[in-house]
Amino acid sequence: MGAFSYAPAGSRLDACDMHSAGSLSPAADRELVARAATGDERAMSDLYDRYGTVLYAVAYRVVGQRADAEEVVVEAFTQAWRDASRFEAARGSVAAWLTMIARSRALDLVRARGRRDKLAARAALSGLDAGPAPSAGENPADRAEDDERRRMVRQAIEALSPPQRQAIELAFFEGLSQSEIAARLNEPLGTVKTRVRLGMQKLRESLRPYFFERVT
Amino acid sequence: MSTPDNATLRDLAAAYALGALSREEARAFEAFLATSPETQREVDEFRETAALLALGSEAELPSPELRGRVQAAIAATKEQGLAVRTPAAPRALALARRAAWPPLAWVGLAAALLAAVGLGVRTRTLGREIATRDSAIAELERRVDELGQGVFDRDAILAAVLDRDVKLVQLTASGNPDPAIQVFWNRARNTALLNATGLKPAPPGRTYQLWWIRDGKPVPSVTFDIDAAGAGLVKGVSVPTDGELSAAAVTEEPAGGSQQPTSPILLVGALPKS
Repeated sequence: MGAFSYAPAGSRLDACDMHSAGSLSPAADRELVARAATGDERAMSDLYDRYGTVLYAVAYRVVGQRADAEEVVVEAFTQAWRDASRFEAARGSVAAWLTMIARSRALDLVRARGRRDKLAARAALSGLDAGPAPSAGENPADRAEDDERRRMVRQAIEALSPPQRQAIELAFFEGLSQSEIAARLNEPLGTVKTRVRLGMQKLRESLRPYFFERVT
Repeated sequence: MSTPDNATLRDLAAAYALGALSREEARAFEAFLATSPETQREVDEFRETAALLALGSEAELPSPELRGRVQAAIAATKEQGLAVRTPAAPRALALARRAAWPPLAWVGLAAALLAAVGLGVRTRTLGREIATRDSAIAELERRVDELGQGVFDRDAILAAVLDRDVKLVQLTASGNPDPAIQVFWNRARNTALLNATGLKPAPPGRTYQLWWIRDGKPVPSVTFDIDAAGAGLVKGVSVPTDGELSAAAVTEEPAGGSQQPTSPILLVGALPKS
């Protein structure tokens, strides 16, 4: 497969368009952002093809509803379009930059609507807000490679202790500070800080081969 | 209030990448981050790690229409510089056309159905517009927050400079009034704020480094960069507490800094005796 395995619209996230460390093309990503900065709209379409499903995944996890998640993706790509000239390649990959924009916009949406109880998210994750069925047109080889990659990410997350996983997920998906996590869980702040630090260190070691872009 | 040491600050890299620091912690960490390329690299790695977290959850893929909505939003932004507008679903129009041909008896029912569908579509469109406006408001709130943060930062700098325990140390180049570095040394807290003006940005692969002269020997301190305007600001610089400090100096060093100066002193200034 090429640098990316674009999952056709309508397929499940199992066919996510994340690329492997061995075949990634961070230079191509940066080139797309540079083109977007000069006003080339097609570059944004290409970025959507590469990372639309990843952004949707993080948005969906935060907001818990399909329509809201899609609105977040629209907002995130629009912001990326506006901010393309300010992208700093030295500070990380395009994928991480886009993902963090989507997460911020999703958290903004949740905060704006006062919807922090996560009930909708849980309902959605339980399948109550199900999406379309898997597409029949995917390349099985691509699908297998992506499944493997996705499995490794899940495995790394599952290898965390439950308290570590909980603290990291509250921070990333609910936008809570460590102090807020400590208050929510009724745990000492120092304990929460240690869980976040050790958990993220463990994830980093496990996931380094799967980074969107190697950090040098 | 005590100042966290560098090891403590470095431990915050993961939480910073997750956006889990309080405003005060983030501010202290960012000041430290500007002086520590090693920690910056850690933050970058943790950001890459965090970006993968989304793949650990069960979720469906977006609808096939989303790509077109993104393209339309970007086109609208490009042309108008305005907020995104979601195109109305064309399905209602198709249904309206279809409703024209039934026999008279069906017209009432068709009209009712059409009204219901139209209402549904309108509701969805309104919902999307509200979501768009919510996001726009949130974006504005974020920018206001950033501006407020800027004001807060300036107030903090002003407070640090005007503290009664602060002594000003002027670092100058021999025979040259420009460039100059001001070191605001808080002797009660053993911290300093460094304000540089008129310096050229260091060449690629090089950086500026501050040194404390203690008992006649250089003690390495922070490295710092200079922007295109020739300015640089470093907050929360630790000042050695043991020994007799006599001066502060700046040299140009390889990126990442040195343990001993490897180039001549560029600027120097004597510290007031206690």
